[in-house]
Amino acid sequence: MARVEELIANKKGRVLCLGNEAIARGAIESGVQIFAAYPGTPSSEVSNALIAAAPKLGYYAEWSTNEKVAFETAFAASITGVRAMTACKHVGINVLADALFSAAYMGTTGGFVVLVADDPNCFSSQNEQDSRWLGVTAQVPVLEPSNPQEAKEFTKLAFTISEKFEQIIILRSTTRISHARADIEFNEFESNFREGKFEKSLRYICLPALARANHPKLVAKLEEIKEWIPESGLSIIEGPDDNEYGVITSGISYSYLKDALALLEKDIPILKLGMIAPLDEQTILEFAKNKKNIIFIEEVDSYLEDRISALLLQNGLNPKIHGKCTNITNRYHELNSRLVAEALQGVIGGELESVSEINAISEETKEFVPFRPPLFCPGCQHRAAFWELSKVVRKNKGIFASDIGCYSLDPWVTDTILCMGGGISMANGFARVITDKPIFAFIGDSTFFHTGLPALANAVYQKANINILVLDNRMTAMTGFQPNPTEMLDIADVAKALGVEYVVEFDPYDFEKGKKTFEDALKHEGPTVIIMRKICANEWWRQTRRRGEKIEVYTIDPETCTACGTCLVQYQCPAIHWSIDTNSKGKNYSVIDPSMCTGCGVCAQICPFEAISKVVD
Amino acid sequence: MVDTYQMIVCGVGGQGILTITDIIVMAAQEKGLRVLGSEVHGMAQKGGSVVTNLKIGKELYSPVTPIGSCKVLIGLEQNETLRYLKYLKPGGFVLTSTTVLFPIVWKKDKKAAQLAREKIEENLAKYKAKIVRIDAEKLAIEAGLALAQNIVLLGALSQVEGFPLTVEELKVALKQRVPAKYLEENIKAFELGINAISNS
Repeated sequence: MARVEELIANKKGRVLCLGNEAIARGAIESGVQIFAAYPGTPSSEVSNALIAAAPKLGYYAEWSTNEKVAFETAFAASITGVRAMTACKHVGINVLADALFSAAYMGTTGGFVVLVADDPNCFSSQNEQDSRWLGVTAQVPVLEPSNPQEAKEFTKLAFTISEKFEQIIILRSTTRISHARADIEFNEFESNFREGKFEKSLRYICLPALARANHPKLVAKLEEIKEWIPESGLSIIEGPDDNEYGVITSGISYSYLKDALALLEKDIPILKLGMIAPLDEQTILEFAKNKKNIIFIEEVDSYLEDRISALLLQNGLNPKIHGKCTNITNRYHELNSRLVAEALQGVIGGELESVSEINAISEETKEFVPFRPPLFCPGCQHRAAFWELSKVVRKNKGIFASDIGCYSLDPWVTDTILCMGGGISMANGFARVITDKPIFAFIGDSTFFHTGLPALANAVYQKANINILVLDNRMTAMTGFQPNPTEMLDIADVAKALGVEYVVEFDPYDFEKGKKTFEDALKHEGPTVIIMRKICANEWWRQTRRRGEKIEVYTIDPETCTACGTCLVQYQCPAIHWSIDTNSKGKNYSVIDPSMCTGCGVCAQICPFEAISKVVD
Repeated sequence: MVDTYQMIVCGVGGQGILTITDIIVMAAQEKGLRVLGSEVHGMAQKGGSVVTNLKIGKELYSPVTPIGSCKVLIGLEQNETLRYLKYLKPGGFVLTSTTVLFPIVWKKDKKAAQLAREKIEENLAKYKAKIVRIDAEKLAIEAGLALAQNIVLLGALSQVEGFPLTVEELKVALKQRVPAKYLEENIKAFELGINAISNS
């Protein structure tokens, strides 16, 4: 990843960086003056870069408590004439959508850009939502870059378009652009930061009568933007002048398409759309006018296909449509150049090297390739907390509603994971209809402040008989250790202030205290809040090593160890392995890798044979 | 397309996959070549299967290498090598460490682990590839830094016929990328990697 110094250097030249960092640079080159965001993969590096660069360049940036708060913060600034931006992942845009739909009616005066990064293939997400539709439903123009360099240029363009038409612009990326790494051409920039100037106007009040008047203005504005796209250079027609076939595409799918055509050694006309909402109807109709076949190449939903098919029909054009409706690509998962080449081959022909033999070998050797899911890190306090909890939950046949965060990796007790902040509310729902079992909700500190607070207030208000377990590891660890309000706000104080009567805090490594607390909490009527507070073990380990301090690791006595597997198979600490050698009884035993051990000592607490102890120098 | 050099680096999270990808792209950029790669962040990757795609050349479009198309595959863990071998173009070059890292399923099922270990050479050989197996762990320890297994394989990579970057070009980038404190051990690991492939 690029260093902050490189991202803020005011000079021209090529710099190696991630697509997300290219977007951040685009915002810096545009003179963004306020930036607010909540982290979420695959969008986080945009925010990491812009928040790290802010104090150095003199603009304002913050990690907000959630996407809606971030959007509203940046939006307010933008209607005072300064350039503003927010960034989120696809599910994050749903959190801010409430504000977005109404802000679209109001428009803006300074440029306002909303970066949304979708995650086809669910690399680190709970669904494959296709955010392009927001261009239609929220009536906000959407720009879609096809590679990291274009992502940077489109960011700059987004600010310009936003100011030209006084409208919010969505910049839509996907994992393969956000997390692509390339040598990006940087440009020089000027920052003209200025004091915001708010001109009072009824357009910023969304009362029914005013909103009713604003909506036709928004529709007219979108018409105006639509008329302007052909001269913007955002729609590009490439390839030969041919009437048999034409492909319409946008975003990363364009890049796959270019490689796919090279694989097939074919050249056919391509229309690449840079703005996908509103649609550049004039160029699309011009392109499709005499074509016998129109092929749509796009990832996940049939967004372009459905909208453009309707447009063609409305204009009396009747080419044969090839796309999701003819199953040339799937409505799920991501594409690649091979999949696109196979999709095209069925329509336009061409030769492709067969991969059936490779597929057969892959299938044949599959059983030897182990499933290797990401696990809790060595020393992770989530693992310790879940271990102790799992006994209580199982013993009482409890129901366990978890939430989004590192703790989603729990291998033992989780029954549901829905969305950010969903655990506490789902627990409330379960508790209304299941009264003979204890109901648990689990939430991290960042998620607690994100959307947990309203759910907790509701649980207190409705006297929900649930046990809310908060794992406070002092940061937003999953997305890269971003800071959050837990630095300043004490969750126990917050819970008490909200009226929770039973609030207990303990160290998740302390199993004695944990067991007592859980048993005690179950006897309590009404919501309980149990806070397990400890800095993220991964971050603690890094900080300790950086300070050059010694970490007191643990070791296993080969003769006492019976290879029962409690520490290694059941507790699943990644720092523990089976020995290669055997002990005097001719048996394998467990071994702790000292380079991975964080010295948490939990294995020593749970070993039934007391075979584990601190290493003595 | 003809001028594009596609490769894959795979292994287990924490093995330094992104580090050697970094060094390769830095060296390529210094040489004036265009680079385009793809990596996956997010979920706590420690202990998970990790892969990066990399293209070096002039005209680059998509960042992902599809099945049957990359020229070189670097595997830092031999079972991960097997997992990603389908992305290699038939006849391509594979540099794999003989390192085995046990996932939780194999800690539970020692028999499956043993069988996979016995079959690994046979399984790798099913693919039409030029495979060089290197005991990167041993060589890294010899260099004085057990973590430098990735750098051993980088050294070996410099010897692959047709690879667009030279030993010197990679060394310059290596010096920039690794911590100064461990530079000597890393250079040693790099050179042991060069020798490993020359002797194989």
